[in-house]
Amino acid sequence: MLLSLLTSLWLWASPAPADTISDYYTIETIHTPPGLTAETGALTFLPDGRLAVCFHRGEVMLYNPKTKIWKLFAEGLHDPLGIMAISNRELLVMQRPELTRLTDTNGDGVADTYETVADQFGMSGNYHEFAFGPVRDSKGNLYISLNTASNGAGIRDELRGRYDSLGRPGRMYACVPYRGWVMQITPDGKVKPYASGFRSPNGLGFDAQGRLLVTDNQGDWLGTSKLYQVEEGKFYGHPTSLVWRPGFPEIDPLTLSPQTLDSMRTIESIAFPHEVMAHSPTQMVVDNSKGKFGPFAGQTFVGEMDFPHLLRILPDVVDGQMQGSCVPFFAKGGSNGTPLRIGNNRLAFAPDGSLWLGQTDHGWLGDRGIQRIRYTGGTPLDILAMTLTPTGFDLTFTQPVDESTAQQLANYQVRSYYYEYHRAYGSPQKDVQVVPVSAVQLSPDHRTVSLTLARLQPRRIYELHLGKLTGNNGQKKLMNQVICYTLNRLRTQAVGRATN
Amino acid sequence: MGKLLLLLSAVLLHVSAWAQRDTTITITTSGGLQFDQKRLVVRPNTRLHLIFQNKDDMAHNLVVTRPNARLRVVEFALALGDKGPALHHVPVMSDVLAHTVSVEPGNTDSLTVKVADGAYPFVCTYPGHGAVMYGVVYATNEPEKLPPPSEDRNLPNPDRVAEAGMQHHHANASGHPYPLTLPALYRTFMPDCGPAAIAVGLPGSDGGQSYVFDAGSCRLRYAWSGGFVDNSEQWDGKGQRFTKVVGDIYYRDTDDFPWRVGNQTPVVQFKGYRLIDRYPEFRYLVNGVEVRELIRPRVGGRGLVRTFTIAPTKQPLTFRATAQPGIQYKTSAGRLQNNQIRLPAGTRQFSLTLSTL
Repeated sequence: MLLSLLTSLWLWASPAPADTISDYYTIETIHTPPGLTAETGALTFLPDGRLAVCFHRGEVMLYNPKTKIWKLFAEGLHDPLGIMAISNRELLVMQRPELTRLTDTNGDGVADTYETVADQFGMSGNYHEFAFGPVRDSKGNLYISLNTASNGAGIRDELRGRYDSLGRPGRMYACVPYRGWVMQITPDGKVKPYASGFRSPNGLGFDAQGRLLVTDNQGDWLGTSKLYQVEEGKFYGHPTSLVWRPGFPEIDPLTLSPQTLDSMRTIESIAFPHEVMAHSPTQMVVDNSKGKFGPFAGQTFVGEMDFPHLLRILPDVVDGQMQGSCVPFFAKGGSNGTPLRIGNNRLAFAPDGSLWLGQTDHGWLGDRGIQRIRYTGGTPLDILAMTLTPTGFDLTFTQPVDESTAQQLANYQVRSYYYEYHRAYGSPQKDVQVVPVSAVQLSPDHRTVSLTLARLQPRRIYELHLGKLTGNNGQKKLMNQVICYTLNRLRTQAVGRATN
Repeated sequence: MGKLLLLLSAVLLHVSAWAQRDTTITITTSGGLQFDQKRLVVRPNTRLHLIFQNKDDMAHNLVVTRPNARLRVVEFALALGDKGPALHHVPVMSDVLAHTVSVEPGNTDSLTVKVADGAYPFVCTYPGHGAVMYGVVYATNEPEKLPPPSEDRNLPNPDRVAEAGMQHHHANASGHPYPLTLPALYRTFMPDCGPAAIAVGLPGSDGGQSYVFDAGSCRLRYAWSGGFVDNSEQWDGKGQRFTKVVGDIYYRDTDDFPWRVGNQTPVVQFKGYRLIDRYPEFRYLVNGVEVRELIRPRVGGRGLVRTFTIAPTKQPLTFRATAQPGIQYKTSAGRLQNNQIRLPAGTRQFSLTLSTL
């Protein structure tokens, strides 16, 4: 008793607590109904503020955050992994066999029509042929993505779609149409193969600038997980899907040399270095809360399966091409309350600006359930932007940094490496170099640090480790010490800072 | 070291789970139209050598069928009529995996069958025997998960009440946060169907009836009675494994695709379904002609009523329904002739009743 009293006195008397992300954001776990296996496949918000969630066993349930009551909206779907709300009565859901429009036509709160919107793609019956999306562009086109199959299992006796044996070899394969593709569905219902070369494209999203972004998972032909900016007709590097490209010769794409394939592909805009940032990046979502979620309004957040953190991406545009960096968000979050779980497969912003997370494991590492992250106020010291300059990088922070820490060269350690593009699974970091930081300059408003690096080379990742930078005279501590910039192109001349 | 051993044994266990094994089991008769052993449990991927010794005072055979196919094989055997004895009462069909010849009293015959994973019925298909003289081979790595024999619907048990199949309807057993209400529907991977399968369970006595509709080829594939489905393996892990049929398959569509619009090669497109009192009404296009199909259980016995609603077309429509043992068709429009129904011009709706004899 005396001991605990003394301890609490000591706690009370100790200096200001460590500045952590949990001083700005809290985690809340959402209760789910008894009997539900909460492997969350998708979630979104209806115009009326209710949450709509798909679960692995085929349920679509609606949750009213005010009354905390769950209601069943639809059932019997096959592994639904994507959702889009059209109205309070109408949802688009991506399930294994098709994109489906669920409508409650009679207004009793339960879907009564399940209309097939798009099923013009093949299925071999292999478990890994997941289907993701949809997302919608400003013209009303929808986009979905189709996972390749895994040689962890074979294919069924009966298939849907034409079988092509040339797409069957390989660790991940595409022996039926458009596996490994992003598909476009036009407003008049036409389904068009849009871009190829994907392995396991679990995340699709449009960023605030209207760019279609897709995440893909480390594995064969992916030395690490990646984010692509997807454009029509392009091939993004995983070869098997090429068999479904119009005009592609009648050959097994794996017979092409890695050099040939490398010359055909469009490389990633941002790599997520394995272990450092992500194992399995998931969905993207834009912070559209206009500040209700803190200082990152307009930025794109990415989920991650294996680590208890999310990621933010910080695009930079060089020569008209997007590249840029990724940085953890909410690492070590929830230290003074409910911790963030792993398995953050799906993300959605609520009308109140809180970020809802749908968690799953689905036979892999992960967790189950739903949590939400709520901003409680204040400004954490964090990186807002990282842009390439002709001689190094500019780092812009959410608030001024203390000059005493910002000016110390020892607070900036840079490693540089690349990942090999090859058939093998993953890749070690290749040709790792320590890149000395030769100069640091702080902007007059103390928000931007300009670093000069001893050398910059294209097609490499720059992993920057920041030391104990502080703000507000030591009261604010930098939230994340690691940021990774994917340098595809050098910026040859100073043309002013790119915004994003 | 202990850890290493554990790891090593885990690896061995994994390997052995996939390796094929050979097992020999002897089955005999116990009088009263019964096999002496009714439940055999082996590992998956076993090559099973079954020796059948007939100690009874009448002839029997032993037929191993595909999972859930005992009833249909028995129907087909019965339909052999006077051709039966020459064929040892074994119909030629893919549901038969292996069989003995007719074994006279005191004689012995054997068969070899490879069982992958699941419940493989064995049965004597002599006329009248099939309804009572049967058992099951379980190929499983989890024998502890099998139901107790008294509740095992794969075993003959006159004392068992027919409600055993109803346990799936209670909330805890449904696997959902609500009890399963029939009619119910699952889009899932089903055996003997394309990968875009739709399993539908219908209400009824004795566990109800169920069917599988193939959303890829837009047709009914098969129907069964005595239960709905077991999703436990499909739901587990990454979703590779099949949902299992619970009950006895009594009907399989043996036609390729039933509809013909004029003389055209059928081209189909699935359009989804709407729920009418929870019964799905499927919608699909056949060469551009919209067809809606609603399937309900037949009143008064095992069977289905398929009601078709057809969009106006000037082209002649035919529907194939090839005769098969144990199944009777009745159409509300046109006549069933040469295994097909020519719909009178202008027919907008008709129903085909499919019943077991």
